[in-house]
Amino acid sequence: MDNEMTLSFVAVSDNESLARVAITSFVAQLDPTIDELSEFKTIVSEAVSNAIIHGYDEDGKGIVTVHAVRDGDLVSVAVKDNGKGIFDVKKAMEPLFTSKAEMERSGMGFTIMESFADDLQVESEPNVGTVVTFTKKFYSVKMPQIS
Amino acid sequence: MNYEINMHLNEIAVIRLYGELDHHATEKIRTHISKTILQGNLNTIIWNLERLNFMDSSGIGLILGRMRELNTVNGQTIILNPSNTMKKIFQFSGLASFMMTGTEADAILHARGIVNG
Ligand SMILES: Nc1ncnc2c1ncn2[C@@H]1O[C@H](COP(=O)(O)OP(=O)(O)O)[C@@H](O)[C@H]1O
Ligand SMILES: [Mg+2]
Repeated sequence: MDNEMTLSFVAVSDNESLARVAITSFVAQLDPTIDELSEFKTIVSEAVSNAIIHGYDEDGKGIVTVHAVRDGDLVSVAVKDNGKGIFDVKKAMEPLFTSKAEMERSGMGFTIMESFADDLQVESEPNVGTVVTFTKKFYSVKMPQIS
Repeated sequence: MNYEINMHLNEIAVIRLYGELDHHATEKIRTHISKTILQGNLNTIIWNLERLNFMDSSGIGLILGRMRELNTVNGQTIILNPSNTMKKIFQFSGLASFMMTGTEADAILHARGIVNG
């Protein structure tokens, strides 16, 4: 393990950008390409937004935790909430499924996360909370070391 | 997050998005964008994403919502200059056919049915 970080914040939507900024700095050492970085940020943004919007209904009290570990060019992230949980995870992960259509949610969050991550797992229990865990490998072009 | 709306001939709205479009940002701008474009005889929305640095699925919700509002007048939507990552997001969401690369002037001509070449 090369590095590790934990970031916790209350469930307000301002903190979506906070999570992206933190996670961007965390992977900076890997010199990610623009596309790698933006895909990585998108996954984090989707998971964090879900925790805030769906887990806690933006109540400003619930705590969202982002835990990231870097091991070589592999980064694993867990986004956790202790919110209302998901009754049927399989259904929730279907493209276009949303429980908040009135808020203009598109139901594409999980589909995007699954496509951009190398491996994504969702564990959830109603009234206990949700953890979304994923890994992403960075293939960023490595400069030859000058010694 | 910032944006700019320019109306052409009262029919075409060109919306330039700047910065980062996430759930927080869409909640702040949706109502105003919606009100502005529903004035006039709007039939086209051109979203210029050239200066947008980030977008997640909230952007899909924002664009689809305005497409729905345009449906009543059989309007059209053009998505201009998405980044590679945004392109993928639009593809997953079934919006690939609305993307275009070019200038706003190209998009306006295209919208008016005047296609060069
Ligand atoms: N952290 C969470 N807590 C509770 N429910 C969630 C959580 N994340 C996702 N969900 C449920 O899964 C559905 C699908 O999520 P997603 O694909 O991101 O679409 P959207 O956020 O646009 O609704 C949500 O509408 C919600 O019902
Ligand atoms: Mg979502």
